[in-house]
Amino acid sequence: MMKPRTSKWRNRGKPFVIILTVLLLLIMLFPFFVMITTMLRTSKEVYISPPRWIPHTITFNNFFLVWSQYLLAGYFKSSAIIAIGSSALNMLLSIPAAYAIARLRFKGQQVALYLFLVVQMFSPVVVVISLFKTFSALNLLDSYIGLIIINAVFSMAFSIWLLSGYFKSIPVQIEEAAFIDGATRWQTVTRIILPISSPGLVTTTIYTFIAAWNEFLFALSFIQKQERMPLTLGLYRFVGRWSSQWELLTTSAFLAIIPVLVLFYIIQQRLIGGLTGGAVKG
Amino acid sequence: MSERVLTPHNKLRVREARLAYALLLPAVVCVTGFMIYPLVYVFLMSVFKTNRLGWLVKFVGLTNFGTVLSDIEFWRVTGRSLLWTTLAVFMKTFLGMVIAMLLNVQFRGQKMARMLFIAPWASSVPISVLLWSWVYNPQFGLLNHTLKITGIWPNPPVWLGYPISGFFAAIWVDIWIGVPFMALVFLSGMQSIPEELYESADMDGVNNFQKFKFITLPSILRIVQISTLLSALWTFNDFNAIYILTGGGPVNSTDILITSIYKNAFVYARFDQAAVMAIITFIILTSLSVVYARYYFKEDV
Amino acid sequence: MALLALAGIMALPSTVFASGKSDAAAVQKQTATFFWANYDGVTEDYRKGLQDAFNKVDPNYQIDIIPVSWDQLKDKLTTALAGGKPPDISVIGTRWLLEYNDMNQLVPPGDYVSPATIDDIFAGAKEGVVNGKLMGLPVAAGARFLAINNSITTAVPKTMEELETMAIAANKPPEHYGLFMVGQKNAELTEFAYYFYAAGGDFFAKNPDGSFGKSLVNSPAGIKALTFMNKLANQDKVVEDGYLGMTRIQGHPLFYAGKIGYVMIGAWVESAMKQAGATFPVTYAQIPPFAGQKSTPLIITDSIAFFKGGKNLKAAGKFIDFWYQSEWKGKFDELAGFPPVTKKASSLPAFNTPMYKVMAEANVNAKGWPLIATWDQCQDVIWDAISKVYLQTATPKDALDAAAAAIDKINNIK
Repeated sequence: MMKPRTSKWRNRGKPFVIILTVLLLLIMLFPFFVMITTMLRTSKEVYISPPRWIPHTITFNNFFLVWSQYLLAGYFKSSAIIAIGSSALNMLLSIPAAYAIARLRFKGQQVALYLFLVVQMFSPVVVVISLFKTFSALNLLDSYIGLIIINAVFSMAFSIWLLSGYFKSIPVQIEEAAFIDGATRWQTVTRIILPISSPGLVTTTIYTFIAAWNEFLFALSFIQKQERMPLTLGLYRFVGRWSSQWELLTTSAFLAIIPVLVLFYIIQQRLIGGLTGGAVKG
Repeated sequence: MSERVLTPHNKLRVREARLAYALLLPAVVCVTGFMIYPLVYVFLMSVFKTNRLGWLVKFVGLTNFGTVLSDIEFWRVTGRSLLWTTLAVFMKTFLGMVIAMLLNVQFRGQKMARMLFIAPWASSVPISVLLWSWVYNPQFGLLNHTLKITGIWPNPPVWLGYPISGFFAAIWVDIWIGVPFMALVFLSGMQSIPEELYESADMDGVNNFQKFKFITLPSILRIVQISTLLSALWTFNDFNAIYILTGGGPVNSTDILITSIYKNAFVYARFDQAAVMAIITFIILTSLSVVYARYYFKEDV
Repeated sequence: MALLALAGIMALPSTVFASGKSDAAAVQKQTATFFWANYDGVTEDYRKGLQDAFNKVDPNYQIDIIPVSWDQLKDKLTTALAGGKPPDISVIGTRWLLEYNDMNQLVPPGDYVSPATIDDIFAGAKEGVVNGKLMGLPVAAGARFLAINNSITTAVPKTMEELETMAIAANKPPEHYGLFMVGQKNAELTEFAYYFYAAGGDFFAKNPDGSFGKSLVNSPAGIKALTFMNKLANQDKVVEDGYLGMTRIQGHPLFYAGKIGYVMIGAWVESAMKQAGATFPVTYAQIPPFAGQKSTPLIITDSIAFFKGGKNLKAAGKFIDFWYQSEWKGKFDELAGFPPVTKKASSLPAFNTPMYKVMAEANVNAKGWPLIATWDQCQDVIWDAISKVYLQTATPKDALDAAAAAIDKINNIK
């Protein structure tokens, strides 16, 4: 059905590929090794100098602690709502916009693309206070909706640019053929364009989801109630004024990453593009 | 080649434009609706004197710009920002490309490897940087400890205590966080390249490097362009990596524009000067985008 | 006519009832928001317990206790204030009080808190007094002191010079180090303040009207302090390796790990040591002065500020009354490790340990931060001067002279 893409390094080069991959993984995942070894120890073994990779006592107690005493589940729920909400909102707004830019001729295409880019040039640090005032006036402070909107807004540039690029690279002939067969525009979009650009859609979804899942500054500024705090804020519970509870912090951080990784693992095969013959070029 | 117009009749073109505007409207309204006030306010703050809460006090024209631009420290920080951005984006693109190519190969555990490479991106940035500060700790951190006992680096520096090692420690964290995104985007682009192109190249006896240069790269060029541009914008404004690790120190030697903006706004309560720096950031990033846009849109027509 | 009269008579009782109803509606439910800074040791259970306990008392006055990490507290508060929607009350570092007062954002707690609560607070803890009025309600106060790891050394220094000698004797790197020094800039200038105050220094000259004048950070006391600190770190080398790369939060655990002989620290040391599983014996002493000076430890207080923009200050006041006059406040002090600020709580047995005795002694002579609105920025400048000296890119005198000049410029002092 879908042919998996292999690259030019065929069977000859595979061991080399695997070795290099493992090497890079060791380097890139180094802090996660630290995270794992820290979360499996008691508070008594966190601060030892010189440090040890393997603690004397390995414990899984931290998992119970963060779940029961620190109500991690609530933070998870909030993060999920915000992340899923903003991904959905983003897609809802970006796909039509990207389609318009890619497929329709109109004046001001460059202006539109540029407009979305301008937003990216201002760090949240610079706009947070003004946005606070805006949301305060709209009564959207301390709400999921407020964060969903702002996260979607900040992911818009990437989504629209990437998706329009994907849409543009699909040859027009395919749709023209469909038009001749009597398909409506809507049908060409849902049956041709979207399926073919699934790598782009997947990438955009993951990007928006992760960006919202990990967003910190706006959550800190807008959210007040403990019940609505996402993970990014909740984790700071373990950063004290005079010392940090690293064993609990790493445990929670680890748990916070898992859903993202699982989501990615599930979706990643959609990264393999669908193609019905014909070349796809940038 | 890139024929975007499906039906070239004029009457239909008007209808087409209207449809386009309708499709664009929600996104445009959402973005401008929420961002117009903050952006206008930043401009206002830069030409007004502000009080310690950022409220506008008195119109002063370009005085704030004068104050900021005549401070030599500002130029140092700006130069460092440009160095920071260039180095980091280059490394992220390079490493991202390498990883994408590796993950493009079919091998056992490929799915697992892909998932694992995403990990640095999957974690919230402030928390990741905090974790790194723990890793970099001279007494408790496992990095120096491991470097010492494996003999890779018998006498590693006190990373966050000195200007140069601090800069590199921070830039590595920024790169580390940004690589998964680049790899993912490149990989998804590579996945769209049809196998047949490589097969015919193989039959022509083309070597690996040429395959990359003439098949892979051109196919994903658009994607590389847009991701490096966005990466440059994000990297320039990467606040957490430097601020949480070194605080911009020691003695502001690792400050980049965004950390300086933050300090001016939230520590010194000089919102007007922070706004000036934000505007200058905007000017720099706009110029960069314009250059990019030239290349990007050149292929359209 | 008769119908109207009838209608009027029928309407009368309903107006009576109506006014009764609107009276009840007039006592509107107030829910105050309280930015609660996360003190190490104070658990989530405690916060929730306190919130629930108060909310049970009177349904018309409710409290929402919002936990915030200390690192983010100032940012969050600044954003909320600048955005026009501050909380009703918040924990603040007392040094921020001036800033907020200057911007006219505060109301005196006394307007909403009962006199009984205020009178129960120790006079010495009332640091948040501006122009004679109490603007910040003390919530936590603690003088700093010297902690000595007795398995490394038992010598108690009476002067800084003695401390130097004893630290050198106790220094045996990399097994253990003589003295702990914070080398990386963090949000508080405490290290420098210990030595500066020990040398009899003052951060600012005081004008006759009580306002602050020129910066005195480059006075002989300042130069002496910084020179001494630099000597300990770079010449005697009695401080921990890698001190430049560690903030206080990352470094103090070295003491709990038993690798430091002397550390200047605060009330949290006992609970922190317990959590780290430290078993070595510890004695506490005053931070010694330089020879010829009086012992002047640093005292740091946190206050609760009442914000003008808050809409539920009455509820906030009632909450504070509840908290301070019940056993909840003593429990808070015990969990956080602070000596109590209220007379009521200080009689509890938990506060009669050797550490608290030393702190009580220190309280007598201790000096706090200067209450000046630009303090955060001044601190920043002084820290940079210290870093320059540690990195050996400037002499103490040059670095401090530059810092003093910069501070004067910030404060518009000629």
